Amino acid sequence: MRITILNGNPNVENRAFDEYTARLSEALLAGGTQVTTLTLRDMDIRYCTGCWTCWVKTPGECQSKDDSHLVRKAVINSDLTVMAAPVVMGYPSALMKKAVDKLVPIVMPYVTLVQGEVHHVARYPHYPKLALLLEPEVVTDAEDIEIITDLFRRAALNLQSELAFTHLTTQPVEEAVHAVNRL
Amino acid sequence: MQLTVFNGSPRGLKSNTRILLSHFQRGFEETPGNSMVIHDLVRVNDQEAFRQAYAQAETVFLAFPLYVDAMPGIVKTFIEETLQPFAARESNPPMLFLVQSGFPEGIHSTFVARYLKKLAARMNAPCLGVVIKGGVEGIQSQPEKAIAKLLDSFYQLGLGFGQTGKLDEALVGQLAQPIRFPKAVQTGLLILSKFGLVDSGWNIQLKRNGAFERRFAQPDCENEAQ
Repeated sequence: MRITILNGNPNVENRAFDEYTARLSEALLAGGTQVTTLTLRDMDIRYCTGCWTCWVKTPGECQSKDDSHLVRKAVINSDLTVMAAPVVMGYPSALMKKAVDKLVPIVMPYVTLVQGEVHHVARYPHYPKLALLLEPEVVTDAEDIEIITDLFRRAALNLQSELAFTHLTTQPVEEAVHAVNRL
Repeated sequence: MQLTVFNGSPRGLKSNTRILLSHFQRGFEETPGNSMVIHDLVRVNDQEAFRQAYAQAETVFLAFPLYVDAMPGIVKTFIEETLQPFAARESNPPMLFLVQSGFPEGIHSTFVARYLKKLAARMNAPCLGVVIKGGVEGIQSQPEKAIAKLLDSFYQLGLGFGQTGKLDEALVGQLAQPIRFPKAVQTGLLILSKFGLVDSGWNIQLKRNGAFERRFAQPDCENEAQ
């Protein structure tokens, strides 16, 4: 299994989050899984401008000459992409959202009906499952986690994927590894 | 009433969100003494100006297009950099929201609406409502007559809000329709999509840009021939 971990921790001083992510990566590697970790704060990822160049001028490619193509490549060639980020104001970091917005080129502009709703058509033959690794804020409650999970379940549906699980950094790393191994 | 608006569209002044807001503004400002100022969040380096605007706001209106089922990245940055510093205050100005999307059904935006209601609670701010409108992408290429009803709805929404300080719930409910298409429409859409008949707008743009032959490109796939 190939796993891509997108580390959306914007704060280099938040070592606990990076250490947790590293422990997860090491545990997965020890189990024979191929793991690629992208630390988004070290990459040049610009905001999506909604220009639709990736749909109508350079299909599948963002017009912005940033590092987002590295994210798309790592995501589309994985079997599981773990979106790892601290929760800030009830939602994963802006750094993570910026990267997620740049995944739009991996689907077509065309639409079809999925589960009775209009959704985009696949561009690629294979899409990874998605998972969330979240560091809760002090005030994060169960409703926040439910809201985030629902939002990423919807995002997964639009990105031809499914949300496999949501894991919190307050839970043991081993539980995340078990969740991956159950896939 | 003074309304401080934050336009969260990455397209800024040229956005569909701006168009809807301008018609809301036309109605809102018909009530004497009302004024509405729009700040474009695409100016991401202006967070200090946004904080000043928020600090002085009487009522806040955050509007944005749906991006990957939630707020665009620039809006999340605004929430973190401008709103978060005020979250510890005992009370903040009332907030209302607009989420518009290209998807024709309202269902797509209902999930982020739940987040926005929680955001208002997190800010210790009364939530005055979340307006959802689907089918907005492409309105700038449609004839005036085709979008007249939509624009009038936003004018009416602004007019009512300007007069009462409340959103017209019935109108908000109408704008969000259809939440889902009825089964018969779903079947029709499925048939049309199988024959590519719902894709013509995209194909026109692809052909105009000389990109039609490359429309199925898979530039990031390691295992597939390009």
